[in-house]
Amino acid sequence: MTTTFENLGEGDTIDGPTFEVSRESIRLFCDGSLDYNPLHLDDEYMKGSFGKTNFGGIIMHGMNNFGLITRMLTDWAYPAGAIHRRLETRWVKPVKPGDTIQPTGIVKSKQVTANSRWVLIDVMVKNQSGEKVATGEAMVEFPN
Amino acid sequence: MAQAEAFETNFWKHANLRKVWDDIVPGEPRKTIPYTLTRDAIELYCASVGEDHPIYFDEAYARTTRYGGLIAPPSIHILLMFACTPADDWMRSPGTVNAGQSWSYNIPARPGDVITLQARALDKFIKRERLFVVHDNVFFNQHGDVVCSGRGWTIRPE
Repeated sequence: MTTTFENLGEGDTIDGPTFEVSRESIRLFCDGSLDYNPLHLDDEYMKGSFGKTNFGGIIMHGMNNFGLITRMLTDWAYPAGAIHRRLETRWVKPVKPGDTIQPTGIVKSKQVTANSRWVLIDVMVKNQSGEKVATGEAMVEFPN
Repeated sequence: MAQAEAFETNFWKHANLRKVWDDIVPGEPRKTIPYTLTRDAIELYCASVGEDHPIYFDEAYARTTRYGGLIAPPSIHILLMFACTPADDWMRSPGTVNAGQSWSYNIPARPGDVITLQARALDKFIKRERLFVVHDNVFFNQHGDVVCSGRGWTIRPE
């Protein structure tokens, strides 16, 4: 069934793509984003601690989660004639090489404003153990 | 690709020039530089997150959509944040940990756009012994239209 503003309901789910995280995928994200922070590159550096946190090795960019959630939302919105308008995220747990992550969305509510129609979506990214690594909220516009 | 080749990928190199948490003044503008967004840069970013929608790659298809031509994914601001800031920008300080971000999207960026950034630290605070800075950012295209605006929370290296 085609997704429309009318037929969407609270609790409807959106399945995003699975993504295998590797040293190579993290390196490619460095090149794609120009974010070459040693957190994502330098094993020696990552043996150290950051305040109270020791990651134990390189970690994936938090914004890689953001990019995957965006991909899920736009791939869902484009065929419906809808527009991805907002995404807010928090990182809950670091993601490391060898992890497989997947974003999902759950429709939370719909709202009609003076000039348009909006769908509010809770989003999250989970790893292969079912642990949440990122959570957030998104807003998709369904123009009249 | 001249811009990409000029980009300093060793973030240690200018580390001593960057502001630490104590030096960052909320409200003070960050130095920014205009950046011409190329199709190559969009395609490389797309590859890094597995974006494969034809609206980013297929000109003939893109012309049939509401956008009338190729666009970049909304999340292209991830690249633009580093592309539009100089090597001594404190966002590049090694050990900068991203805690979360929120972004609003107005119109898409397109290949060939000359993107400018207005950015500043908005707030700084200490929580559970961690040094936080909130930064806010607005990206514009060459016509002065807002592409997107957003806010981020980072934990600063000590």
